Amino acid sequence: MAVRPASTDQALPSCSLSCEALVIDVPGRADGQPLSFSIEPGSRWGILGPNGAGKSTLLHTLAGLRAPRHGRLRLDGQPLTDWRRRAVAQRLGVVFQERHDEFPASVLETALIGRHPFLRAWQNESEDDVQRALGALEHLDIAHLAHRPLATLSGGERQRVSLATVLTQAPQIWLVDEPTNHLDLHHQVATMALLDEQASQGAAVVMCLHDLNLAARWCDHLLLLYPDGAACWGPRDDMLVTSALERLYDQPLSVAEVDGAAVFMPRVASSLNSPRPTKEVSHDAHVPYDAVPHDTDSEER
Amino acid sequence: MIICRSLVSASAGLVLSALASAAMASSSPGGYEDICVVDDTERELCLSAPAERIVALSPSVTEMLFAAGAGERVVGVVSFSDYPEAARSLPQVGSYDRLDLESLLALDPDLVVAWAGGNPGQQVERLDELGLPVFRSDAANFEQIATTLERFGRLAGSADIGDTAARELRESVAALGERYVDAAPVEVFYQVWEQPLMTVNGEHWISRALSLCGGVNLFADEAPLVPRLSREAVLAADPEVIITGGMGKADSTWLDAWRQWPQMTAVARDNLYFINPDLVQRATPRLVEGTRALCQHLDAARERR
Amino acid sequence: MLPVNAADSSATFRPTRRGRPLGLLALLGVVSVVLAVSVGSVALSPMELWLTLTGQGSSLHQTLVWELRLPRALAAFGTGALLALAGALMQVLLRNPLADPYVLGLSGGASVAALCAMLAGLGAALVSASAFAGALVSILVVFGLAHGSGSWSPARLLLTGVVMASGWGAIITFLLAVSPVEELPGMLYWLMGDMAYARSPWPVLVIAALSALVLVPLGRTLNVLARGGQQALALGVAVRPLEWGLYLAASLATATAVTTAGSVGFVGLMVPHMLRLRLGADQRLILPASLLAGGCLLTLADTLARTLIAPQQLPVGVITALIGVPSFLYLLHRSHGKG
Repeated sequence: MAVRPASTDQALPSCSLSCEALVIDVPGRADGQPLSFSIEPGSRWGILGPNGAGKSTLLHTLAGLRAPRHGRLRLDGQPLTDWRRRAVAQRLGVVFQERHDEFPASVLETALIGRHPFLRAWQNESEDDVQRALGALEHLDIAHLAHRPLATLSGGERQRVSLATVLTQAPQIWLVDEPTNHLDLHHQVATMALLDEQASQGAAVVMCLHDLNLAARWCDHLLLLYPDGAACWGPRDDMLVTSALERLYDQPLSVAEVDGAAVFMPRVASSLNSPRPTKEVSHDAHVPYDAVPHDTDSEER
Repeated sequence: MIICRSLVSASAGLVLSALASAAMASSSPGGYEDICVVDDTERELCLSAPAERIVALSPSVTEMLFAAGAGERVVGVVSFSDYPEAARSLPQVGSYDRLDLESLLALDPDLVVAWAGGNPGQQVERLDELGLPVFRSDAANFEQIATTLERFGRLAGSADIGDTAARELRESVAALGERYVDAAPVEVFYQVWEQPLMTVNGEHWISRALSLCGGVNLFADEAPLVPRLSREAVLAADPEVIITGGMGKADSTWLDAWRQWPQMTAVARDNLYFINPDLVQRATPRLVEGTRALCQHLDAARERR
Repeated sequence: MLPVNAADSSATFRPTRRGRPLGLLALLGVVSVVLAVSVGSVALSPMELWLTLTGQGSSLHQTLVWELRLPRALAAFGTGALLALAGALMQVLLRNPLADPYVLGLSGGASVAALCAMLAGLGAALVSASAFAGALVSILVVFGLAHGSGSWSPARLLLTGVVMASGWGAIITFLLAVSPVEELPGMLYWLMGDMAYARSPWPVLVIAALSALVLVPLGRTLNVLARGGQQALALGVAVRPLEWGLYLAASLATATAVTTAGSVGFVGLMVPHMLRLRLGADQRLILPASLLAGGCLLTLADTLARTLIAPQQLPVGVITALIGVPSFLYLLHRSHGKG
């Protein structure tokens, strides 16, 4: 790939993000299960859950964009709230699902805002910044759109501009809300490969995903977020328990093996009678939902 | 020309009654004494010589300057200054509510007569700042019109004409008052405007002109000088006479609007009268003429009882 | 795959392109002020104008140029600059390209106070002071109400401001309805906006210069804020303080402009819009360009207002709309073609 490795010319060392008894603030919902885990450099976390479970809220809370209800976050061991926002932005980048394109801007201008945390107020983007942005556009296959107005892009192109913006920012921690939104199959894979590449260069990547199979294929850690606030998390293989996933989405699943990996398919009503595949649950991690005693329920209700 | 101006600390009524004699004392024809008068905002204005280039900032002021014998010295007026005829051909310096200071200055006036109640305060203050002598006029009844004529005559070196005009005005008013001293009262609604419906209160010179010949303004006790009314209020008051100026000199459409209520006394007796608004709605010497016309209408109404 | 093409596109990148439009606008600004000083009800020949400017003209010409035309031209320039800047800031603050300096009810507060002062028979200086005070009251009320509960968003600020504006509008209508008839023309002209009320050009010029110094360096930050509060926060912008700072700066600019010339419409909404159609949305260019273009527009419009049907004088707001609307529609039409 043509892009320079984003991490090498960045003087910043790898960062870790950890949460301690974190309870996210979902308005109108009782406190969920406190979350305590650490996202280490090089890891790829996937947040799974049905609509409305609070995936985006959790992601924004991890980014420090909204206050948690309880608990706290640490960036490199320091409480996140003690960091200056600019310093956080030099280390942590967020790809949002929603965008505000009320004001006209070109693709290149949009990618260049990724350099904002590294520039002083009066500074203009340097030639080097422009090169970084162009490299990021190149990496996402949209260099030819550099001078196009955002308003003329398709949804998938716009999504890749958002990814290119964070790639230009080159953070050590990526928080990505639905990275494959609007993307065709090829670009879904390319995008996951990009995030994978970032992780292998030492970045920590956290993504909210709708697609169970993308999570199964590209993540090494998973966090399952249930609509009632319950959660479990751990290494991927411990989390991919069919019964837990069925409970997560309230949807029966079929499992097949393709190219040596498990693939989950929703089961339609007619096939409900086929035997449910089972898998042995390993208990060395935080255990999937249906395997734990429902101790959180009593707190909630 | 030396100009001095100071605020005189006396009440308006006191000043207005006292100023004629004060002004007279200081003006001796041919002498070099300053001509000092007090304007309607209680500012003293002194000129070292009679004004020769006067700009008048309202149609009423123009009329009064001409009546006071200063017509030939008026070099600039505002739009709608249509009386007397000679005023129509004078250069204009904008409208009374938006002055063109530049063309005003270009006329090089040695006296500006402003309308205190109508000209924008900012622009008149600007004239002060530019060092122009400004007389602020705000006549609102017969006596004030008379003293204004006297003061204008003094400022323009035509004191005799101004004084004569003032005397004639006072005599005419006194004569009207004597003639109608025992006249039977007539309840009147004077309509200033149609939409919104507006009249005058008892303080207004139109109301005073009406009362001179036995007219009773049904809305004399309203607080604003020019109150806005509902049609209902007029129907309830049931005036014996309705008088209006209409929108132009011969426009009586506003009166026709009342004919849809034949139960009103004024309509039943056909006491709907039109009057030339220029004669009564400007506080100038022509108000005497307008008052006579009003009185004739009231006389006609008395005959229809 | 990369470097050649990349280097090409970067060669035409923005920073180099900022000087020319700003230089042109500055030149246009000088031309508009010179024009405003040369033209009026009294015709001055170029020779007379030159003599006057070099201090040798007749005393009438000296007065016309130095005491009437120049202060008014500068006041118009400053007022236009502040309104356009305030419009540009409000549009970023509310993330709404249709926002204008008056959308949050500030001119309503100023108008109510100014009309009350006129009703009370106060002099011109006190009317101006009241207008400023009214604008400040409106700023604080909207700030307090929008800030009060803690949960805050541009949408909430907009809603609070728009409702306040409606409230002020009702009070203005009430005041007009109960005011003595003879006061109405002055009140209406104040509401329309009129440079004849400008007393001194200094307040607007000083505030415009200060705003330029403080805000233009924030251009890149505002570009990021325009992408949404969350996005800006994620990119290290201290969003909350910045937004309140923007609100106060835009309000102060508007209050100063309104105090100088009444509620001159159109400039604050349209100038930033027109500039974006021509120059793109980079606030580093749009903010200084708004200052200059707003100043030019109002200076030229006021020159027309006082000469078009002289000696009759028109309110400047009429002219800004009459020349602004067609040129805006023309730009919109042309940019549509470009896609």
